[in-house]
Amino acid sequence: MRLSTLLLLLFLCVHLSAQQELMLQSAPELWHSNATNPAFFPQEKRLVIGLPAYALDAAHSGNLTLNDIYAKRNGIRYIDFGAAIDKLDPENTVHFDQRIETVSIGLRLSKKWALQAGHANRFTGAVTYPKDLPALLWNGNAPYIGQTLNIGPKIALFNWNEWSVGAMRSFGNLTIGAKMKFLTGVSALESDENHHKAEIYTNPDIYQLTLNTDYAFNSSSIISAFDTAGYGFRVSLGSLNGKAFTANTGIAYDFGFNWQLTKRIRVSASVLDWKGKINWTENANYYKSNGTYEYEGAVFPGTDIINGGDSLDFDSKIDTLNDIFKFVKTPKEFSTSLPTRYFASFSFMLNARWTFGASFYKQSGAQTHSALGFSARWSPLKWATIAAMYSVDDRSVANIGMQFILKPGPFQLYLMSDNLANVFTPRNTPALNLRAGASLVF
Amino acid sequence: MRVKTVLVFVIAFSLFSGFFSACTREDLEQVEISDHTAEFAFPLFSTDLLMKDLMLNILNDTLSGDTLYINSDNSMTLIYTGDVAEKKATDIFNFLENGLVPIADSVSSSPIQAPDGVTVTRADIKSGTITLIIYNNTTDTVSGIFEITQMSANGVVFNYPFTVPPTPNTVWISPPIDLSGNILLSGSNLLEFKYYAYNKDGVRIAFPSINGGFAPVFVSFQNLTFSYLQGYWGYSSYPLTRDTIEIDLNQTNLDGNVKVKNPKVTMKISNSWGFPTRGKIKYLSFIGKDGTEYKLNSTIFVDDAVDFEFPDFTKNEVGQTKYTYLKMDETNSNIAEIFNAQPTRLVYEVEGISNANLDPNVIGFLTDSSNIKLSVGVELLLEGSADNFQTDQTLDLDFGTYSALDTTEIEAVEFKLVTENQTAISAAVQIFFLDENENKVDSLFVGGPQFIMNAAPVNAQGIVSGVTRKENFIPMSIARFERVRATKKAVLQAAFTTADGGQVPVKLLATDQVVIKMGLKVKTRL
Repeated sequence: MRLSTLLLLLFLCVHLSAQQELMLQSAPELWHSNATNPAFFPQEKRLVIGLPAYALDAAHSGNLTLNDIYAKRNGIRYIDFGAAIDKLDPENTVHFDQRIETVSIGLRLSKKWALQAGHANRFTGAVTYPKDLPALLWNGNAPYIGQTLNIGPKIALFNWNEWSVGAMRSFGNLTIGAKMKFLTGVSALESDENHHKAEIYTNPDIYQLTLNTDYAFNSSSIISAFDTAGYGFRVSLGSLNGKAFTANTGIAYDFGFNWQLTKRIRVSASVLDWKGKINWTENANYYKSNGTYEYEGAVFPGTDIINGGDSLDFDSKIDTLNDIFKFVKTPKEFSTSLPTRYFASFSFMLNARWTFGASFYKQSGAQTHSALGFSARWSPLKWATIAAMYSVDDRSVANIGMQFILKPGPFQLYLMSDNLANVFTPRNTPALNLRAGASLVF
Repeated sequence: MRVKTVLVFVIAFSLFSGFFSACTREDLEQVEISDHTAEFAFPLFSTDLLMKDLMLNILNDTLSGDTLYINSDNSMTLIYTGDVAEKKATDIFNFLENGLVPIADSVSSSPIQAPDGVTVTRADIKSGTITLIIYNNTTDTVSGIFEITQMSANGVVFNYPFTVPPTPNTVWISPPIDLSGNILLSGSNLLEFKYYAYNKDGVRIAFPSINGGFAPVFVSFQNLTFSYLQGYWGYSSYPLTRDTIEIDLNQTNLDGNVKVKNPKVTMKISNSWGFPTRGKIKYLSFIGKDGTEYKLNSTIFVDDAVDFEFPDFTKNEVGQTKYTYLKMDETNSNIAEIFNAQPTRLVYEVEGISNANLDPNVIGFLTDSSNIKLSVGVELLLEGSADNFQTDQTLDLDFGTYSALDTTEIEAVEFKLVTENQTAISAAVQIFFLDENENKVDSLFVGGPQFIMNAAPVNAQGIVSGVTRKENFIPMSIARFERVRATKKAVLQAAFTTADGGQVPVKLLATDQVVIKMGLKVKTRL
């Protein structure tokens, strides 16, 4: 993997964050809202087929935007990390959550019972990295001679499939739903919280390199090898092609209810990914680099120079750069827990055209996240709904969301975002949230 | 209703078109990485050059006897020595070793075959035998005693009884008779042989001569060796040595000017020959780079000769070794003046002369271990000054991994050469890189050598009192780097100048050292 690619991945994580999906939560008539509450099922529909849907929630800390990375000269768009690096904080965090729902189905058996099943692929993670890391990768170590650079990132990346089956039961105006999800892990990379120090120092003398590391991470199918020969630090990645079924398995549960208190008032709440855990066994390794490595170049005995007899051989010396970053690879299984997510919503239907509501989201676990939104929905036509939402989350108090739903015939088409401005100008913002999808309902 | 429908479509169109225009794949696929240069820096090598090793290298190029003597104050004396000339006593002891002495009558004399000018008065026989050969052409069995009057053992004159039957057609030969332990004493340089022979009637006879007048009795000496000789040594000359001492310090084809403080030529003679020996200096000259001869004149020589110390017989110094040290320095010779011309070799020829004064009363001796050794050396205390003194060294190179680097991504390189000098020598250096045919393809510095190392400060005694660090940055285009990294040999040319531009004598200590380090910056395009 080239350095530029590595950097691009680091920054492009902007495109991908904990998935709050407040707008989806406010639209229980959509089949895909079932992803936020297993008790949601389109009213008066017996059969639903979920077509593909894509959801993305991502954010980068600070004010970094893609426009800081892209530059346009003579009509050609360039990637230039220099300006982006200048805007970075000493420590930066990228978090993202991507959900691809491939197919799902729901069947209402009776007025009381309904069943559901589906598949989704999820890719979630968070990377906290020091500014020194991209600076070193982009600029090289020469501009930082005499400085100690901290380059150890904290990483948590997980990609997995969810195979879900569930059921819901109505008790009058109260519907409860439950879903069991069989998880198959595709790939994972998680740094060891107790070992994430990596410092590099370039001595002004003749650029002797000192690397002080106590860095370790678990990986399953992402990192296959480290090659630090030559001038760079190349990381060999394993195949990222998603596999539907792997030996990395786990279980998670979703629970929820939807209560139509009155004709106009509705409340709902759900717990998602409860007890969610994946045991990583396939290509699972623990990589650790620990120690102080000093590379001083080749050391020729003075007598070799004086006598001139022996060859001054640089060949074997530079290979010792491998030793600097040498990670000890140990096969080791590990497990990761999914963050538990909580949704709650309230809606008040003013009339047939207007509905007002509030939605709350919270994520617990290693990366906590919460959001609260207030929405207004307008249905000018029976088959069209437009909604807007003002929300507050951890990183912004000025999010204006938008939702557009078309329901021609059996189709449900929708496009929504918790932050509309980011959707239209994603390169100008440090965060992005969107969801789009389609379903057939009968 | 119609207005609402239109409005919905307008909003829908705006939303979808806005969304998709923001997310066109063009953004991600038609981008290029901007021209960007990253710069990596890493160390290349380091080495410690010890002054002691450097001087040893100079010595290793010459004779095995050359030494670098480290004095108690860590100063160093460079000693070039020639072959040790040796004249062993065994060169003289080889007289009488083998021989056949005819004895024509019952009493015969034969001179001792001593070296020219030598009269032996005593010879102690260490080993060897004699054999008595008799032709008895009488009809009787003859018995008798053979005697060498001047030879005795423990006070008993050497004698050998014999009985010889008639030998009309052959000779009688005695078994070998061991002579070890016998001493020959002769005041006249003559040996007297006698035999007392009696026939069956007890009448003393002399063996008749053989037809033609040949002696009927012979004494044959076999493998005679001596442990001691004593006698008179007259005037005699013999070559001791002719040799050449190479002075590598000054052997270079390059320019330079080295001034060595108080150089010396030493001559050491160890002598256990027990008689006066004079060393005659037949030739003692330094040879310059251009072949010019510089004769070394010294007041220690009288008529180009000097008498060696010797163990004196009259002082009972038999078995001792006496030493003669001769030192030619700036106080007694013109050597300092000669060294200003940076001579490259010393050529000398010495001849030995015994009893050069022709003293007729000189009694001398030799033992079988006596010898005379002469060694000549050039001693250079490494204290002096150098101004642009140049030397060169050829080094094999192998850039290994650097040779295989893809330089299409490299814009330029810059070497950083650091010297930490703890010697009183500054150095200007140039490195020429050679291809496989040893043709120069490039050099480290463009435009000639550069001073990479400044002399360390020295105190009033000329001894280094600190360390001088110098950093040299050597940029190199990628085209040049391409050429250089493919080379397999390098010629290092260095021109040394001592402190203060070579005007002040400095003392080089064995502990003096230079640390040379090099790092590399590489600008790469991403």
